[in-house]
Amino acid sequence: MLLVVVSLVLIATFLVWRIDSPRVERFRAQVTDRIVPNFDWAMAPVTGAVNLFHDYQSYNRIAEQNQELHRELRKMQSWKEAALQLEQENARLLDLNSVRLDPRLTFITGVVLADSGSPFRQSVLLNVGARDGLVDGWATMDGIGLVGRISGVAKNTSRVILLTDASSRIPVTIQPSGQRAIVAGDNSAAPPINFIESPDLVRPGDRVVSSGDGGVFPAGLVIGQVAADPSGRLRVRLAADYERLKFLRVLRSHPTEPVTDTANILTNNIGTSEPTSGEEAPASE
Amino acid sequence: MRGWFIVLGLATLFIHLLPLNAMSRPWATPDLLLGFAFAWSVRKPAYVPIVLLGMMLLLSDLLLQRPPGLWAFLGLLCCESLKGRAKRLRASNFASEWLTVIVMLAGATISYRIILAMLLVDQPNLGSQLIQTITTILYYPVIAFAAHVFMGVRKGIPGDLDTRGGSL
Repeated sequence: MLLVVVSLVLIATFLVWRIDSPRVERFRAQVTDRIVPNFDWAMAPVTGAVNLFHDYQSYNRIAEQNQELHRELRKMQSWKEAALQLEQENARLLDLNSVRLDPRLTFITGVVLADSGSPFRQSVLLNVGARDGLVDGWATMDGIGLVGRISGVAKNTSRVILLTDASSRIPVTIQPSGQRAIVAGDNSAAPPINFIESPDLVRPGDRVVSSGDGGVFPAGLVIGQVAADPSGRLRVRLAADYERLKFLRVLRSHPTEPVTDTANILTNNIGTSEPTSGEEAPASE
Repeated sequence: MRGWFIVLGLATLFIHLLPLNAMSRPWATPDLLLGFAFAWSVRKPAYVPIVLLGMMLLLSDLLLQRPPGLWAFLGLLCCESLKGRAKRLRASNFASEWLTVIVMLAGATISYRIILAMLLVDQPNLGSQLIQTITTILYYPVIAFAAHVFMGVRKGIPGDLDTRGGSL
């Protein structure tokens, strides 16, 4: 009789579980919650003892393992040395690589004399000036990346407006998507990138190089890498080491010939009788 | 003595719940609680009353993440039938007891799987459940030995009295 009652209770529990399992699962959770923590004062030492037993074999080999680890450590140290040297060599080669400039672009090296002196203008003073042939608008690089533009040439000194200055606007290309954009300084250490056509194609880490748009700046100069600031705005992490500006190269750039006679590019018979420049070859139509 | 059964049940649950290895192993631990219940049912059926047995089996179902109630019900039926045969099994040797237990366990496992399959409940792997049944069967002699020697749960001899003086 009792058997029947208890069996019915068990079957009923099972059926209730089958029908409405969340309720029963909650009940199960409550039961577990009531009972299992009471075990846990005993579980810890027992688990510890069992694990100790499992580790027992390794205790026998501890001296051996120690030797093995020492040997590995020594090997790792020699690898670490090799890695550091390779890293330095790599940095030097990259450095050299990134300043492979157009052979037409010669440069003048100047020393940074002074800072701008004001928190709102990011510029430096170079000790080369008009007497060395400097002209407004030339690009300035340090060993690694673009630093700014010459803006203001005096006889012996010239001022370089840095890329981070609020009035600096540089047309750039973002590799590898090849998009054109403008790096506009805003007095922060990482100038934002504006006017990107498709921001989805640009990811942090992409290289930013000068695009040479407008003929004002030579193309292909490394500027830095794209980074996203916490608010999602794309900025350029500049490759040049702004903390340690000492020697700067001012790149001489001679702009392309201005085209004055647009019509004479195609034929040489309109208006004038002879071609105005050697490049204008008569087109036969 | 019934209190000891509760302690035994909790101890076996404790062993099952020990966090020794988080990863599931290919072989499952034997169902010690049911094994001990069988051993005790054969030897001293008075020590495992129905309600207590039902509750312990239900508790183990709940704590070991089985569908609650089903295995408990099947286990209870097996234990009750073993209790019924206890007098007969008292006279015979261990082999026939073991054989009876094997048949019971096999029947319980098969019914368990069939009922769960009929009611479309997710079941553990057939392989691992078979292995659990087999290991329980293999462990049964050890369990019976432990019950006999360490717990003093022996087959009753004529004239046995329980702690209060009534005949067992």
